[in-house]
Amino acid sequence: MADDTQALAQGLKRRDPDLLDHLIEQYQYRLFRYLLYLTSSRERAEDFFQETWIRVLERGHQYDGKNKFEAWLFRIARNLVIDWQRQRKMLSLDSLTDPEEGAPMEFAAENQPSPLHLVLTAEAQSGVHASLDRIPAVYREVLVLRFQEELGLEEIAGVLAAPLSTVKSRLYRGLESLRGAMQGGAA
Amino acid sequence: MNHELHARAEKLIAQDRVEGISSSERDWLATHLRECPACAQVAQQTNAALRALRAMPIPLPRGLAERTQFRVQLRAQELREQEPKRRFLWVMCGVSWALGIATAPYVWQIIEWIGQRTGAPRLALEFGFGLWWAIPALFAAAIVVLENVRQANERDSSGR
Repeated sequence: MADDTQALAQGLKRRDPDLLDHLIEQYQYRLFRYLLYLTSSRERAEDFFQETWIRVLERGHQYDGKNKFEAWLFRIARNLVIDWQRQRKMLSLDSLTDPEEGAPMEFAAENQPSPLHLVLTAEAQSGVHASLDRIPAVYREVLVLRFQEELGLEEIAGVLAAPLSTVKSRLYRGLESLRGAMQGGAA
Repeated sequence: MNHELHARAEKLIAQDRVEGISSSERDWLATHLRECPACAQVAQQTNAALRALRAMPIPLPRGLAERTQFRVQLRAQELREQEPKRRFLWVMCGVSWALGIATAPYVWQIIEWIGQRTGAPRLALEFGFGLWWAIPALFAAAIVVLENVRQANERDSSGR
């Protein structure tokens, strides 16, 4: 893996167009899914998806190839969403990222009731869609990174720029919330 | 069965999924789950929730990758076009600093002469000399900042 990521880092440094095309294809589903959970809006997720790859092009030289590419990619995407959110609402980063100290991170616009619900249930109203809608975004995010993206705990900590203990506590709470929500209880 | 055993089992069920548990803990948990239907149900619910989460489909917008590739290519082209300009800027800065160093003694003589004629304090003269040195850097920084602001504005107007 180290050789692959080093080669990837070199390619990004050169702004290799074929490599970027390939990466966009390869990670389109995972990145879009992550952004969708983060923003709860299909249109916004699409905007951020494109913006993320522009950033990858511009800042590809910053990827050192020591860690998984997807962790770096998700971190760029997440930072873009947080920057945008801060510009819009002028909220502090702490209140966005730490539900224990304030309101949980919710990226959806105020005038959109139950946005993830709207996005996901448009396709199919399964139990897990509705359950995820009931879980605070910070927990939803770590659940997606851990159990869908299968990132390691330290990699998630890197994406979130948060201590390992925070990641673990959010995962435990998220798992509990998910299980509770799927049983029809409050998250 | 006491409450502590159930609490331990529930903790291990979650811990196993989040960070893993030791083989002795796994053995203990397996034994407990065989004997305790309530905890076995918690384990089953947890597994079902994670299975559902993993299997949940997200439909991709049509042509998302193609549109993104096109935008990235355009931006890459812009960056390639800007590259010579930026290189030129750095070369000019380098030349300007080299000339600054080479001509520094003469410039100081001129500033000193102006000081003698005008009676300006030495501190003001030294400040003027420093400013003269910093002018190329200030110009370069201003150009880079303005360029970045222009790019950000362009991205904002073409993006969201």
